[in-house]
Amino acid sequence: MKKADTLGDELRRQGISRRTFLKFCAAMATSMALPASMAPVMADALAATRRQSVIWLSFQECTGCTESILRSYAPSIESLIFDFISLDYHHTLQAAAGRAAEDARDQAMQENWGKYLVIVDGSIPLKDGGIYSTIDGHTNLETLETVAAGAAALISVGTCAAYGGLPMARPNPTGAVGVDEIIKDKPVINLPGCPPIPEVMTGTIASFLTFGRLPEMDRLGRPVAFFGDTIHDRCYRRPLYERGKFARGFDDEGARKGWCLYALGCKGPITYNACATIKWNQGQSFPIQSGHGCLGCSEPRFWDKDSFYKPLSATHWGNAAGLAAAAAAGAAVGAGVAVLSRRHQDTIAKGE
Amino acid sequence: MSVTLLDFARGPAMQWALIIFVFGMVWRLVGVWGLRHKADHSQPRVTQGVWKRGLRAVFVRVLPYPEFAPKVQGQYWISYVFHLGFFIVLLFFVPHILFFEDILGFGWPGLPNNVIFFVGGITVAALMVALIKRILNPVTRMMSNFDDYFAWFVTIAPVVTGLLVNANLIPNYELMLAIHILSFQLLLIYLPFGKLMHGFWLMVSRWTTAVRFARRGGLS
Amino acid sequence: MTDPIIEHAVDMESKRFGLKKPMVRYDTQGEMSDAERVKKAMQHFAKDFGYVAATYMESCVHCGICANACHFYVTTGDPKYTPIWKIEPFKQAYKREAGPFAFFYKLFNLKHKVTVEELEAWQELIYDSCTMCGRCTLACPMSIDIASLVGMARHAMFHAGLVPHELWAVALKAEEEGSPLGANPKVFKERIRWMEDEHEVDMYIDKEQADILVCMSSIEIQKYPKSMADTAKVLNYLGLSWTFHTEGYEATNFGLLSGNLDWQKDMSQKIIDTAIKIKAKTVLLPECGHAYQAMRWHGANMYGQSLPFTVVHISEFLADAVEQGKLKLRTVGKTAAFHDPCQVSRRGGATQAPRKIIEALGIELREPASSGDFNWCCGGGGGVITIHRADELRYKAMELKLKQMDSTRAHLMLTSCSNCRQNFDDSGEHLAWGRKIESLLELVADNLIEDK
Repeated sequence: MKKADTLGDELRRQGISRRTFLKFCAAMATSMALPASMAPVMADALAATRRQSVIWLSFQECTGCTESILRSYAPSIESLIFDFISLDYHHTLQAAAGRAAEDARDQAMQENWGKYLVIVDGSIPLKDGGIYSTIDGHTNLETLETVAAGAAALISVGTCAAYGGLPMARPNPTGAVGVDEIIKDKPVINLPGCPPIPEVMTGTIASFLTFGRLPEMDRLGRPVAFFGDTIHDRCYRRPLYERGKFARGFDDEGARKGWCLYALGCKGPITYNACATIKWNQGQSFPIQSGHGCLGCSEPRFWDKDSFYKPLSATHWGNAAGLAAAAAAGAAVGAGVAVLSRRHQDTIAKGE
Repeated sequence: MSVTLLDFARGPAMQWALIIFVFGMVWRLVGVWGLRHKADHSQPRVTQGVWKRGLRAVFVRVLPYPEFAPKVQGQYWISYVFHLGFFIVLLFFVPHILFFEDILGFGWPGLPNNVIFFVGGITVAALMVALIKRILNPVTRMMSNFDDYFAWFVTIAPVVTGLLVNANLIPNYELMLAIHILSFQLLLIYLPFGKLMHGFWLMVSRWTTAVRFARRGGLS
Repeated sequence: MTDPIIEHAVDMESKRFGLKKPMVRYDTQGEMSDAERVKKAMQHFAKDFGYVAATYMESCVHCGICANACHFYVTTGDPKYTPIWKIEPFKQAYKREAGPFAFFYKLFNLKHKVTVEELEAWQELIYDSCTMCGRCTLACPMSIDIASLVGMARHAMFHAGLVPHELWAVALKAEEEGSPLGANPKVFKERIRWMEDEHEVDMYIDKEQADILVCMSSIEIQKYPKSMADTAKVLNYLGLSWTFHTEGYEATNFGLLSGNLDWQKDMSQKIIDTAIKIKAKTVLLPECGHAYQAMRWHGANMYGQSLPFTVVHISEFLADAVEQGKLKLRTVGKTAAFHDPCQVSRRGGATQAPRKIIEALGIELREPASSGDFNWCCGGGGGVITIHRADELRYKAMELKLKQMDSTRAHLMLTSCSNCRQNFDDSGEHLAWGRKIESLLELVADNLIEDK
């Protein structure tokens, strides 16, 4: 284990000026809806923080979330945050393997008991004793419970860790659940998305490093700063929605003119995420900008909700045959009731 | 969880609402039509085109006869404002058209949202006025029962919730959307069982009276 | 309650021709328990029930617009006179017993069982304050024929023994004596002979065969007998084969007005049988509104099949003759206002007939607001005029009527319904109108040009 430097030392070593760092903190503060005056405070706090021990647990996942975090083409402060944290255990990224890897985790836990941060990606299978995903002979459930016991906080990265995600999709063969279904006695924050936006992850970690606790969360355990608005509310195509301009196909005139994708099944109106503001790949673009409706990937059970291409206002109304049957049944009951009513009328009219 | 509520609203709730709507409506219409029809043996004064008079009456009676207009036109205006408003919002809000398109297989051009919100606002206002008038007028107050007030409620509910969905006053959009859809389903489910059925009866009743009086040579 | 002692005396002095005001009112008839009354009411309401009535019961949206059409509501402002409200207990009974969802209404008691108290309370609404004029039908956005529903409600009320005293008494008299107001066959014959002498006109009675069977109403026989002579005068002028007949002459039908379907049938049957017996091609009805409704539109249905003769109102008959150029009339000049009898115009379809006659008389017709098919009812039809209890209500309605007639500033006030006429006479006196309404028939008879 290296001797812990502060983040400020690390930045200086990398040749990042304070000015640049302040700019980063200002951006961070803005994206987290903090007042601008918080930026220098944040910078000072961050610069003074010591390396944070992080244990990254990967369960039923696809490594997409890790990919997302690592996807940096140019050296950035976000990536430096990752360089700075002490990622003591991460299947994909750590050099060690097998027993050595597990030992590294145990050691990190011992040394930082009660202080380390646990990041989870992937869901946890519960069915049949959790046998569907095991590491080193332990089920994911056992691992999670053991590691979480000494954690300061947990961060569920990606929709799988947050809400069960794809593994939980019907018929959910492994009995997959998200982290907060299991861990009730530690602060858990959800950073859903398939994958989540890298800035959302770095921002949340930065916030934790700055303030020593998790940021404000909404009813689904998400940081309000990033998940406070819907994609629809922040979408640059929103005015076209208001004007009733809708693309009706992926290559029609509307699509070419960049009209609203609501009619093509965009789930923007019911999806809370920061895609429309922070965007992806250093603010390059996001799905709607590239011409496809939002899938709602950061929402619980998005996979089972509906066809990605069915407009939100269209429903699973059944079918014509069902309604015809209802009409036929109505006619039959109506006729039957009329017959009964006629008989009843005769009985009354007879005065019996 | 609200997410489930929206799924419920868009799925099973919609299926059952439509089934109950169709089932109840046909039941009621057939149940009445199936009662005894009595032949009228009296010698008709008019025999030609009696059914045309019936058909005509369905449309002619859309407006009050000028005879009664001064006294009743206010009431007609208000009810037409909310009836038309309701149907404009129902049929020309693009997301609604997508709903119908999904069922019918075809769509039609919609209106911009601000027009729809404006019309929706007027509809709500007209419904409020109609309710106040109902309560203030001794005649309607005397006659009104649960059906009258509940029918009013299930009519205004989808309009109000629809406006709330789009006004973003309630931060939880999908919950509001779910409530909006459910309120519309409440309307669908209640329609065959209360006075909202007048949408169908008005044709049957106007036609019936017009045909009866047309053969007498009278006005209807 | 014991059987009511009915004061059967006919009041010949009053302008309103009817029974003398009873000393004590008996508005409940027969010995029955409350439950029995309700049962009887339901029994006779159900008897005649069908698709048409059910459609109307289903259609009401409680908009209250019909109130604006009703002379009793408009002149009193009392919400209970809202037309559709007059059948409220029966609307409830329908929903509970016969409607498509009757099962649920009963199971959850959504509409309670009609009580005798309700029926008693509704007697005034069903009889005193409804002339079945049908003006409300034209106002109703759903075109509900409320008058026909009130007629059905009266079937129920009659058999429940809940008819207003006088109306019940005249109906009983009509059934037993052949005339509601003392014009039995003997009286009828005597008065015909009297008129024959008085007006020197040949009047035929009980001919074995005739093309036209002429009927009269008690009101004309007893109060406006000149109408009989004038009818004869016109028929003779046209050289037609006609007769009065002591076996079938009473055109009024108090079975219909009081709500006794069996009696209504009996009364119509007398005329039908007589007409068939003398091989009449036409039954000519007098200037009486409900008589027209009863025979022209209900007659065949009482008979159970189409009638082997045509039924015409005297105004239709005269209009036809005028159109065919068979009646030559002096030009009267002057201006006139015409009061349309509801049962002949609005509910009878003969609105244009009197207008043709008035034109032929060279009279300028001044149509007031609300005339023709939209005419304000005189307020006395449907048996209302017989009920003393309803007098104040009737006078109020007549105020509106007279105002309407006066607005024309016409010389002549005309009508072709003797019941409306006696209501104008009675109410006109009460309200000091100072004018007199005349019979269109009598005006025609007085102005025949006898050039043959």
